[in-house]
Amino acid sequence: MTPATRWLWVLTVPCLAFLLTAFVLPVALLFASSFTGEAGFSLSSYGEFVRDPVSQRAYLRTVRIAGLVTLIGMVICYPAAYAVSLMAARWRVLLIALVILPLMTNPVARTFAWLVILGRKGLVNNTLYGLGIIPEPIRLLYTENAISIGLFHLFLPLMMLPLISAFENVPRDVVLAARNLGASELQVFTRVLMPLTRDGLAIGGTLVFTGCVTAYVTPAILGGSRHLMLSTLLYQKASVTLDWVGGTVVAVVMFVTTLAAIYLIRVLSGAHRTRPTAGAL
Amino acid sequence: MKTAPSKNVHRLAYVLLGVLVFLLPQLGAAQVAVSTWGFGMDLIDKNVTNTFEEAFSTEILYDLGNNADRITKIELRKDNPNIDAVEFAPTFALRAANEGLLETIDYSRIEGLDELHEWAVDPLGNGMGVGFTIYSYGIVYRTDKISEPITSWQDLWREDLSGKVSLPNITTTQGPSTVVMASRAWGGDENNPDVGFEKLAELSETNVVTFYARSSELISLFQQEEVWAAPVLRFAWGSLQQTGLPLTWVAPAEGSVGFVNTISIVKGAPNLDGAYDYINHKLSHDVQSAQALDLVDSPVNATVDVPAEQAASLTYGDEEIGNLIFLDYNYLLSVEEEWISRWNEEIAR
Repeated sequence: MTPATRWLWVLTVPCLAFLLTAFVLPVALLFASSFTGEAGFSLSSYGEFVRDPVSQRAYLRTVRIAGLVTLIGMVICYPAAYAVSLMAARWRVLLIALVILPLMTNPVARTFAWLVILGRKGLVNNTLYGLGIIPEPIRLLYTENAISIGLFHLFLPLMMLPLISAFENVPRDVVLAARNLGASELQVFTRVLMPLTRDGLAIGGTLVFTGCVTAYVTPAILGGSRHLMLSTLLYQKASVTLDWVGGTVVAVVMFVTTLAAIYLIRVLSGAHRTRPTAGAL
Repeated sequence: MKTAPSKNVHRLAYVLLGVLVFLLPQLGAAQVAVSTWGFGMDLIDKNVTNTFEEAFSTEILYDLGNNADRITKIELRKDNPNIDAVEFAPTFALRAANEGLLETIDYSRIEGLDELHEWAVDPLGNGMGVGFTIYSYGIVYRTDKISEPITSWQDLWREDLSGKVSLPNITTTQGPSTVVMASRAWGGDENNPDVGFEKLAELSETNVVTFYARSSELISLFQQEEVWAAPVLRFAWGSLQQTGLPLTWVAPAEGSVGFVNTISIVKGAPNLDGAYDYINHKLSHDVQSAQALDLVDSPVNATVDVPAEQAASLTYGDEEIGNLIFLDYNYLLSVEEEWISRWNEEIAR
């Protein structure tokens, strides 16, 4: 280690020390406690989680909703981000500001806004009813769809921003060069743009999926206690029924699920491979 | 560019001043920490907090939350308690007592003991809590939306209430009583709750839009017109009436369950004297009277006279209280875990 690099490590000490004591250590203790039974090491708490129908439903619902929101987010945001990246600077700045703006409002406030919009006397029901499309107000709140809509809104910026930045980093010349060399629009998209922006897609997907798995306020308010997700189940176990071991198991399951999803997204997007360089095109 | 040193000194001085201004009021002032729900807090501040702080020159620090949250916090701080007095609904008070979190009350230090109704003195039966209010469990519904009056628990299963009912979560104060009353309504009882669970599962499928965890949540469900009928605890009735919606209260034909909320002292309370002062204040004629007139709490102090208009919205009078059903909290606590998992598996899905 040269003196210069040693200094680099010294600079990270406060940050590392904080993370070690406030995050790594407690998480390690937490993990350990969930593997402890009456006689030392035991997987019995995990067996209970797997057999418990309530936990099964919460797990499947969480993965289903998080996967759906991530997928829809990718499909909707990808073309939008491409369009934003091609716009004139002043429009681009305006649109990016619009994307960022919701991040500055409190998630609780944002979620309550959905209560007003999706309620029986809310905007959606009033409009549909007023137009004679529905004979009486329909139930939108306290459903899985309400949770998905709320989460999609909550995490849209986290999908948009990495994608916009990925598109902005694509040199304009490569598209022109590909066209020049006879590539069709589709080929330009699949062989040039996609490979160059898949990092953005992977980052956005990871942030959104992880966010959906761990979000608490939105599923709690928009789903109610009937549609338990892992986060609301965790709260119920830790705080209501005082089943701390059970709560820890949920926490570990959430963590592992998130890690698996991150890995899967990286593999699917091919982001773990090196980017194609100009020479490869 | 470097900033002139004098500027830095000024900045530092401002920061220190700010810290001092923030810290000064915290020093010296006596405090008593009270753990309670926080439902109807403006009125509680007016009737309890402000008058207490004036009379005892002691500040009340509230820790607010539902029963379950607060019992968890007290349990976590068991070895180093930071709460003096705690207010719980019956089963939670009993659970806290069983877990060794509460102090036995020295009744010689309760000033107006002889003014209290007999049932308020030791409702837990273990000397660890004094009752400060009583309330019943009934049904509230929208009179403009529901034409045929609701008179019993059974009516909640009616077809015209499809998708319009909210039930309390099993983990609320009244959750287990909901199972008991549903069982009683359909031919079972607390010892044979199977029929209750079956019927509630059916209700959940057809009529329940969502379950509520807090009374304030139910009030907003009524306001948003998501809910037309729900079983409700009486202490929320005052707030429900203030919504201006056409609502009415029903004491169901099967009977109303009664609850007495208690104040207890946390074991190892840092300010024990403050805790007794708080209890005495809360049970005093003036506070009980003010709380009753504002429809916050029905009185346990027998010297409080409530005019008929307010009494109609409270749980008040020997006849009304004499008719309440008081369940065996020890039994409910013993089946709690089983009922929660049955509820989660069969009803709240």
